[in-house]
Amino acid sequence: MRIKFIYPALIVLIAMAAFQACKKSGSSPNSNGTGFDRVGMLKNLSTNIIIPGYVSFQASVVSLDSSITAFNASPDITKLGNLQTTFKIAYEKWQAVSTFDFGPASNENLRISLNTFPADVNQITTNVSSGSYNLASLSALPAEGFPAIDYLLFGIGADNNAILVQYTTDSQAANRKAYLAAVSAIIKTKITNVLSAWKTTYPATFLAASGTDVGSSVGQLTNELNEDFEVIKNYEIGIPAGTESMGTTFPNKVQAYYSKISLQLTLLHLLAIQNIYLGQSAAGNGLGFDDYLVSAKATYNGGSLNDAITTQFATATAKLQALSDPLANQITTNLTGVTAAYTALQLQTVLLKTDMPSALGILITYGDTDGD
Amino acid sequence: MLNLIKEKFSLLNKPDRHIAPLAVLRMAFGSIMLVSVVRFLLKGWVYAFYIKPKYHFTFYGFDWVKPFDAMGMYLLFAILIIASILVTIGLFYRIAISTFFLCFTYVELIDKTTYLNHYYFISVMAFLMILVPASRYFSVDVLRKPKLKITYVPRWAIDIFKLQLFLVYFFAGLSKLNYDWLIAAMPLRIWLPASSHLPVIGGLLTQLWVAYLFCWFGALFDLSIGFLLLNPKTRKIAYLLVIVFHLATAWFFKIGMFPYIMIFVTIVFFSENTHRKIINYLGNIFSKANTISTTDNINSFYQISVSKKRIIYTLLVLHFTIQLLLPFRYLLYPGKLYWTEEGYRFSWRVMLMEKGGTVFFHVKNPQTGKRTEIINSQYLTDFQESQMSTQPDMILQFAHILAADYQKRGIKNPIVTAESYVTLNGSGSRLYIDSAANLANEQDSFDHKKWILPFHNNN
Repeated sequence: MRIKFIYPALIVLIAMAAFQACKKSGSSPNSNGTGFDRVGMLKNLSTNIIIPGYVSFQASVVSLDSSITAFNASPDITKLGNLQTTFKIAYEKWQAVSTFDFGPASNENLRISLNTFPADVNQITTNVSSGSYNLASLSALPAEGFPAIDYLLFGIGADNNAILVQYTTDSQAANRKAYLAAVSAIIKTKITNVLSAWKTTYPATFLAASGTDVGSSVGQLTNELNEDFEVIKNYEIGIPAGTESMGTTFPNKVQAYYSKISLQLTLLHLLAIQNIYLGQSAAGNGLGFDDYLVSAKATYNGGSLNDAITTQFATATAKLQALSDPLANQITTNLTGVTAAYTALQLQTVLLKTDMPSALGILITYGDTDGD
Repeated sequence: MLNLIKEKFSLLNKPDRHIAPLAVLRMAFGSIMLVSVVRFLLKGWVYAFYIKPKYHFTFYGFDWVKPFDAMGMYLLFAILIIASILVTIGLFYRIAISTFFLCFTYVELIDKTTYLNHYYFISVMAFLMILVPASRYFSVDVLRKPKLKITYVPRWAIDIFKLQLFLVYFFAGLSKLNYDWLIAAMPLRIWLPASSHLPVIGGLLTQLWVAYLFCWFGALFDLSIGFLLLNPKTRKIAYLLVIVFHLATAWFFKIGMFPYIMIFVTIVFFSENTHRKIINYLGNIFSKANTISTTDNINSFYQISVSKKRIIYTLLVLHFTIQLLLPFRYLLYPGKLYWTEEGYRFSWRVMLMEKGGTVFFHVKNPQTGKRTEIINSQYLTDFQESQMSTQPDMILQFAHILAADYQKRGIKNPIVTAESYVTLNGSGSRLYIDSAANLANEQDSFDHKKWILPFHNNN
């Protein structure tokens, strides 16, 4: 009698397990009535922020690459100036897409390939003089990407005339031009691959993973938003300001040290993250994490968490705006101001990394959790 | 007192219960462990949890437990797989189950980052299974040596598992009887809407009343399911509840194998007739085994020497005394349990907290007064960092790791402080650890950690 009950129970068990196994690829999730429309947020972020960001960044990289080709063909002071300008534009555009280091960008290791700084000047010099290098290796990361071009275009001479000499009469001019082209080609290939994935198959994948676990799009976005925010806090500001070296400052470790646009880039970077948070784009203010937190009624210190985060974005921005480029000089002359900016960023780290995921139930690490 | 309990046990000692439930439990436990261990390997967790990390968070008093190198760790898991298979088929059972218990527990003791009640439960079950003759029926051991076969065992050999399961559920239920769970519906009111993408029921999960329903039903389920499983009249419906409840949790939450383990082992509550039918059914599948094990023409009884009996009883009395007391040890500590987590582990407290934290460590050179902020990820994996940031004993352990590291780098008596922010069940983050306390000088112990700041609800 009892055994008869075991069979149906086992069948139910197996059926449920099978259902479990295929639920991800199964029916497409519909947005719900009263709850927050996560798919809507993902749609807004991908359609209005991520894809336009990549389109615009890729175009700037293409134009950087053709400036390099033109410069290499016949280097002169005008072309150097043009090249420096296109470089700055591409580096600025990069700040808007640095966050999205998951899916296609993660396949290309985009963030570390394009923007590991400070540049390793010794390695670059050795590579240029030997003329043989493998830029695909991990150890080559500080010798490529934007930081390497930053050095090659702004750091190898006292002024543009001196820099031009390095590409014309210098004994290693040919090698240097080849290195510049090689570094640029890698950037171009990688971003073109990323863009093409986002223009074809990836948006569907992105929208379908509408849960909140580690592999979900919201989970990945949250994780990368935090990783990228810590790039600002630690690498763009903290480490140069000596927070991780017993107070010994390293002004030359800032982002864009040679082109001296560090602060400008950091402000763009922070704005980009703020826009992702707000769902803010040229298309207007769409669904973002702010709306998500409001719908979850997340609180912080007696008020709303969204207010706290929005305020802290404003505070951090104001502290950064109180500084001026070159940031490296500010670290030497106005360390208090730099430290104040750092402290503002640090509080925001807590809100974005701890309060936000916890209020939304977003899993940010893998591994099983305790169940009932 | 001890004698009284002993006497009670001797009443349980008459070998008048059919052994079939033990044989089924052995196969159920062994096979689900096999699946669990293989799954753990396939997920790459052996590498991620035990090989990749540079440092590990050992349990208090177990700092001698160290991970082996990659080769050794994989070997350990290979042994676990073999042991699970041997337990399932009942070959060299005592050695197999003892090996499983030791190896599994060793792995769990390496790093408390991975601590889960599930893993503790597995260790406890494996320990209890060492004490019973679960392979003396319907097993390869019996095939190998037919005279090993027995048909009747004393009832304690089966009842200890029912008692253990009863305690697990009941304590889990007790721990839910608090404000956060019953009145605030926390953390389910955060977790359920996070699953709103699920088909069919996704929309429901965003409703607040559903969170309350789940909370109250969950507490009621945990408190009563032990009784319902013990009562023959309600057993069937109770087991159906077990299946539905655990599958639902498996669906909503990322809790791995636990639901399936519970569904498998609670079969032990069924009557011996049910178990004999299960064995008959399995015997029909493996017709070879059928010829020898399922016909009980000769009854034989489990006999053990008095000295062995004494050891087993002592172990059981000790074990269940600890099981009964351990979940209440939190009463010895001041402050909010979920906040301090003093006395939290090993008490069947599950799904009670949505807790997150960020902690910035500073190391200061007392000679120069200069300080440095630590990038935690240079020492810890993401998983370790996130677990550490909400658990005071781990924060202290990491502070000691940092102190030792900077001592090695030539800073004498480095001062290590933690600026730590934690949010608990939607409270919003607030300072967690006294940022002025030099954690390098604080020692871990079972005493209350005075450098944990009290939890003030300011919402």
